Amino acid sequence: MLSSFFFLAETTGDVADAGKAIALALGIGLGALGAGVGIGNIFGSMIQAVARQPELRGELQGIQWLGFALTEAVVFYGLIGGLLAFVLI
Amino acid sequence: MTRLFVVATSLLLALPSLALAATTEGAEEEFDPAHEWELQTWIDLPLGLDVNKAVAYVMLGTIVTCLLGIFLMRVKLGRDPDKRQALGEMVYEVAQVQVAEQGLPTKAIGRWFPYVATLMIFIWVVNMLGFIPLPLSDETVEIGGLDLPTLGIFAATSTLSVTLALALMTWIFTHVEGIRANGVGGYLKSWIPDVPRAMLPLIVPLEILGQFMRLISLSVRLYANMLAGHMLILTFIGLIFLTHWAVFPFSVLMGTVFYLFEVVIVVSIQAYIFAALSAIYIGSAIEPEH
Repeated sequence: MLSSFFFLAETTGDVADAGKAIALALGIGLGALGAGVGIGNIFGSMIQAVARQPELRGELQGIQWLGFALTEAVVFYGLIGGLLAFVLI
Repeated sequence: MTRLFVVATSLLLALPSLALAATTEGAEEEFDPAHEWELQTWIDLPLGLDVNKAVAYVMLGTIVTCLLGIFLMRVKLGRDPDKRQALGEMVYEVAQVQVAEQGLPTKAIGRWFPYVATLMIFIWVVNMLGFIPLPLSDETVEIGGLDLPTLGIFAATSTLSVTLALALMTWIFTHVEGIRANGVGGYLKSWIPDVPRAMLPLIVPLEILGQFMRLISLSVRLYANMLAGHMLILTFIGLIFLTHWAVFPFSVLMGTVFYLFEVVIVVSIQAYIFAALSAIYIGSAIEPEH
């Protein structure tokens, strides 16, 4: 079932499956959009902060990675939710 | 950097090599990266203690973690630190400064530092084992009359059960420590934030829900990261078998890029995050902010 989503769309396949695949891809894509903005924001702020006060780099790095992972995880919640919906419904 | 790239590419090429060396027997079944997560029982034990691929990986991870700890920490301290001592001190410093001191209050570090440091190293090892092709797999290949398991990449942390068990451990410790430090009443009172009285019926259920959401977010973060990483790599390698031989350079290049991204960044970050969040949760239960 998953393989039909991951690779080659069959023109003769189930239309409902195709619709679900498109919905899943769109959902993950939109989720990635938000996380992309968030991650860019984190690293941008980090660069600014280090440019202003280079001596704080070590202390900031821990917070930076924490924020990065917390933001990045949002995509994966979308992915898991999408996959669940794709497989179960 | 070049050496790293070569190592990663050759590791990646080792993945399908056994399958290619085998006869065409397996070729007719449809390729599906999700098959990797259908765990078959290897050793049947009562009480649901069956051994399957994920359990084998966790056991291997435990052994490697113990050996790594002994290798890195049981060093004869010399005047000039050698590489081993330097590496051990670096790991210790990350665990102490970046993980434990960030979340735990000073009085609790002695008790909870071992736990969060172990979490960090254990998750790192299990994640890392997931990116080394190991002959632990459900499928077998016949080479010279012997049934050998194929090389596969599989992280135990890419199954929800493993990460949920780790998250449950942190979650239970959080509440036990909170009650031990503040008493039952004091701990439950610390869940109620400082808001106007009229808002309380709205806020308190959310706070209680938030406690359970921690469990979900902690486990799903690690699980989904590892799952997505493995899925990506397997998908790019699988493109070779599904489409045409001509995609070989493209799929190996993309596979290597994602492989390096996972190994260099994601593996360490996820181990660090899990340990740091555990420390923060336990610390915030011991010393509530208000």
